[in-house]
Amino acid sequence: MAENDTTTPGAVTRRRFLRDTSLAGCAVAAGAQVLLADGTLVIPASQGFLLVDLKKCQGCSTCMMACALAHTGTASYTLARIQIQQDSFARFPDDVFMATCRQCADAPCVRVCPTGANAPDPAFGNVRRIDPAKCIGCRSCVARCPYTPARLQWDHARQVALKCDLCADTPHLGSRGGPGGVQTCVRVCPEKAISFTATMPDQKDLHSYEVNLRDRAWAKLGMSVK
Amino acid sequence: MALYGYAGKILRLDLTARKATAVDTARYRRWGGGHGMASALFWDFCRDKTIKDGRDPANVCCVMPGPFSGTIVPSGGGRCEVTGVGVGMDPISWYTRSAIGGRFSAMLKYAGWDGVVIEGRASEPVWVEIQNSEVRFRDATRLWGLDTWATQDEIWRLQRRRRGTRTGWHDLNDRAEWGAADQGRTTQLSAIMTIGAAGEHQTAHAALIHDAGNGAGQGGFGAVWGSKNLKAISVIGTGSIEVADPAALLAARLVVKEKYTASWERPDFWTWSRLGNLPRPIIQSTPPTPDRRPQSCQGCNNGCRLRFSVGYGNESACQETSWYAPFIGRLVKDRIKAGEINLKAADIVQRYGFNSFVYQTGLHWLEHLVEEGALGPGRRIHSDLPWSQLGTLEFAEALTRALSTRTDIGADLADGWVQAARKWGREEDLHTGALQFSYWGWPEHGYDPRAELEWGYGSIMGDRDTNTHCFNAIFTSVSAAVAYGLPLRLEAGELVSLVAKKLAPYAKDRPEVLDFSDANMYSEAVAQLVRWQQHYCRFWKNSTILCDLKWPDFYNTNVPSLEGATGSPDGGEQVFWKAVTGEDLSFEGGVERGRQIWNLDNAIWTLQGRHRDIVHFAPYLYEHEYEHGELFPFYMWPCRDGDGKWAYTDLMGRKLDRAKFEQWKTTFYTLEGWDTASGWPTRRTLEAMDMKFVADALAAAGRLGREGA
Repeated sequence: MAENDTTTPGAVTRRRFLRDTSLAGCAVAAGAQVLLADGTLVIPASQGFLLVDLKKCQGCSTCMMACALAHTGTASYTLARIQIQQDSFARFPDDVFMATCRQCADAPCVRVCPTGANAPDPAFGNVRRIDPAKCIGCRSCVARCPYTPARLQWDHARQVALKCDLCADTPHLGSRGGPGGVQTCVRVCPEKAISFTATMPDQKDLHSYEVNLRDRAWAKLGMSVK
Repeated sequence: MALYGYAGKILRLDLTARKATAVDTARYRRWGGGHGMASALFWDFCRDKTIKDGRDPANVCCVMPGPFSGTIVPSGGGRCEVTGVGVGMDPISWYTRSAIGGRFSAMLKYAGWDGVVIEGRASEPVWVEIQNSEVRFRDATRLWGLDTWATQDEIWRLQRRRRGTRTGWHDLNDRAEWGAADQGRTTQLSAIMTIGAAGEHQTAHAALIHDAGNGAGQGGFGAVWGSKNLKAISVIGTGSIEVADPAALLAARLVVKEKYTASWERPDFWTWSRLGNLPRPIIQSTPPTPDRRPQSCQGCNNGCRLRFSVGYGNESACQETSWYAPFIGRLVKDRIKAGEINLKAADIVQRYGFNSFVYQTGLHWLEHLVEEGALGPGRRIHSDLPWSQLGTLEFAEALTRALSTRTDIGADLADGWVQAARKWGREEDLHTGALQFSYWGWPEHGYDPRAELEWGYGSIMGDRDTNTHCFNAIFTSVSAAVAYGLPLRLEAGELVSLVAKKLAPYAKDRPEVLDFSDANMYSEAVAQLVRWQQHYCRFWKNSTILCDLKWPDFYNTNVPSLEGATGSPDGGEQVFWKAVTGEDLSFEGGVERGRQIWNLDNAIWTLQGRHRDIVHFAPYLYEHEYEHGELFPFYMWPCRDGDGKWAYTDLMGRKLDRAKFEQWKTTFYTLEGWDTASGWPTRRTLEAMDMKFVADALAAAGRLGREGA
C-alpha cells in the first residue's frame, strides 16, 4: 500500500515534510519565500538591517525627510520609512526614539499580507518590500507589526502601506540602494547615529537593534559614550 | 503648474471675525517666502501702515516658513520667520522681524500652509488648531494664565496625544469634526507656538515659544499675540511637499555633509566655518552632566542645543543660558552648581515667554540703579523685589515674574526700557552708557557698534538689533584663538580675501569692505558691506529660510581651497534654491531679490514715520569709548595698517564720530538710491525693481523720496 494512500489528503507525513522542507531550503537559499503544505510560510532572512544609537540622534529628522525624498521625491514625515519621535521636555535619553523596521526574520507583516504585496525581495537581499501595485490597502500589515510605533507607514493619500526597503526602491537617491548598497538615512545622518549591518540582530531581544556608535570624537565633545 | 517647494496656500486668520481663509501662494511667489512674502502680505493686508505700536489692532503679524522649510536643505528645514510691527522700541516700534526654530515651520508646510497671516483681535482669548487643511478657533480661557510649557502640555492633552516617545501612531481621524477625508496618521506631536505671562500682559519683552526652548524674542511678538488675545497656534500635518529635483537636493545635502563639514573619523574641533562644525552646542554655562545629546531644529547640519538627563535646561542656548551668569558667579563658586542655576534661569524665561535679551545689558543697569540708591524699597524708583538676593534662582524668578506681569518695576518696563529710563528721569544713563540700549530701544547684543560696524550700522539702518551673524564669527574665532592660545586658522589677509570672494555683487573681491580700522570705518566700502549683509539676509537667510548661525559659510577650513559653501556651485544657497523650487536663480539674483524686500521694508518704515533725522544710535556710543562690559578684553578684527597690510587688530577703545556717521548715512542712502535728505525710497529706484505700487503708495502719503536729493 502506498504511504500516501493511508493518509488524510493534505496531512503532513515525514516523507512529505522532508521533501517540502528540503525544497523550501533550496528555495529560501535562492531567496524566495515558500509556502509549505501546512500553510507555514518560510521567509528567507533579510541580508540587511538598520541599527540605531538612541543616545546620539540630534532629532533633526533629516533621515525622515531624506527617506521620503529618496523614495517619493517629496519632503514628508508621514511617508518616511524611519520615524523619529521626540519629546522636547523629556529627560535624555527618553526624549528621542528612532523607530526603524527590524526586517524581522519571522516578518509578521509579510505573513499577514493577503496579496503577497509584502514580501522579501531576492533581488535586494530579501529585504521585506511592499509592492504598491499589489497592495490593496487593507492595513493588515500595519496592524500586525508587533512594535510601538508600528514600523509600517500608511500613505493615506494613495491608500497603500509603506515600509522600509533599505532603499531598494529609491529613484531619487542617485545610488543603488538595498543591502550592499546605500541606505539614505545612514548616509545623510549628520551624527552618524544610524548604521547598517548584514548580520541579523538577536530576534528575541527588543534592544538588539540599538547600538553604541559614540566614539572618541563624541567623548571629546563632552558627552557620555556609555 | 506645480509650485515646487511650496504648499500652495497661505492661511489668513481674522481673529475679530474668527474666520479662516486661504490666500494663493502663487500671488506672492516673487518674494520667495518667509520674510519677503510676509512683508508683501503686510503691505497688502495692513490697512494702516502708520501704526507705531504692534499692539494696535490694525497690526498684521505673519508667521512664515519658506520654501526650504520641511526639507533637508542643511540648517534650513526648521526655521520660521515672524513679522509685524513690534513693541517697546524707541522712538517708534518699527515693522520688524524675528525668527524661531524647531518643528513648527516644517509641520505647517506638511499641513498644507506656506504661512499664517494674523489679523484683528479676538474678543476673548483663543487658540487656533490647524490639522492639515482644517482650521478651528478654540476657546483659550482655560489656557490663559498657563506658562508656555503648561500650555503646550494642556493642548496635547486636549488633542488626546500621549507625551513622550515610543508612543504609537496617532490616527488624525479620531475626531468626527475633521470631516470624512482621510487625515492620515502620525507619530509626531503637534507643533505649538504660544505665549506666556509676558505676552498675555503685552510687555515689550514678550516672546513666542515653541517646544521647550525655541523662541522668537526680539520684536516683542509675544505682546502682539497677547494684544490680539491669541494664546497659541497648534499645527499637525500629514501631507508632503513636492520639490523640483529631489536627486539634486539629496546630492547637495550630501556635499555639505561630506565636503564642507568636519568628519567624525578625523574630527577637527576647531574648524573655522559656520556650516561645517561638528555639533558644538552654544550653551554658555557649564553643562551639568555628560549625559546629554546635541539637539537641533529640523534638517540641521549640526545641532546647537542640548537635552539633558537632569530634567532642566532642555533646548536653551546662547544668551538665555548666561543672562544670569554674572550675578550667580558672585554667590556660587562651584561651576556645576552655577551651571544648574544658569540653566534653571533659562527655563524660567522660557516658561514666562520672556525675551531674556533685555537682561543682557538691562540687568546690569537695574543693579547700577540699586547700588546708586535710586531703585529699591522706598526709593525714588520703588521696588519691593528682594534685590539683596540678586544671583539666586528665587530672585531670577521674582524679577522675571514682575517684568512679565507688569508688577513692581515691570509696570514701567513693560512698554520699553528706554521709555522707562525717561519716566524714571534716567535719560542720562543713555549718555553715560549705564544703559546700553544701542539702537531703536534695543539692548546692545555683545557686538558693540563702535567695534563691529556691520552689526551696529545694519541695526540702525534697519529696524532693530539686526541679529544677523554673517560676519561676527570673525570676532569670536580670532578673539577666542588669541585668548586661549589656539592657532589662527587663517591669517587676516587670507580671511578677508576668502570672504570677499563671496560678496557678489557689491563687494565681490573687495576685501577692503571688511576693514573696520579707524581710517576706513565711515567709508563707501563699509557701506557696501552693510548693504550686502542686509540684502543677502532679507532673501537668502530670512526668506528661503536658512539658519542665521550656519549661513553664510564664507570660509571653511574643512575644504582644501578654504572656500566655504556659500555661493559655491556644489553646496551654495542657489543650488538648494534650484533643487527645491526649480527656479534657476543665481546667487546674485537672490541678493537682488533681497534688495527688493529691503526696499519694501524701508517703504513701510517710511510710512510709519522713519526719517534720517531720527536715525541715531544711543548717545553713549558717540560720547564714550568702548572700554568695558565685554566677555573678551579685546575685539579682534582684520584691519589694514598704513601700508595696506592686513592684521588682526583690537577695535576697542574708540567711539563713533557723529558727524562722520552722518556722512556715512548719506553714502549709504546714495548707494541704495534713496533720498539722502530723508532716507526715503525714490520712484526711480522702486520702479527699476518693478515696485511702482510702492512708489505710488509713498507718493499718496507724501513720503516719496526726492530724486537726486
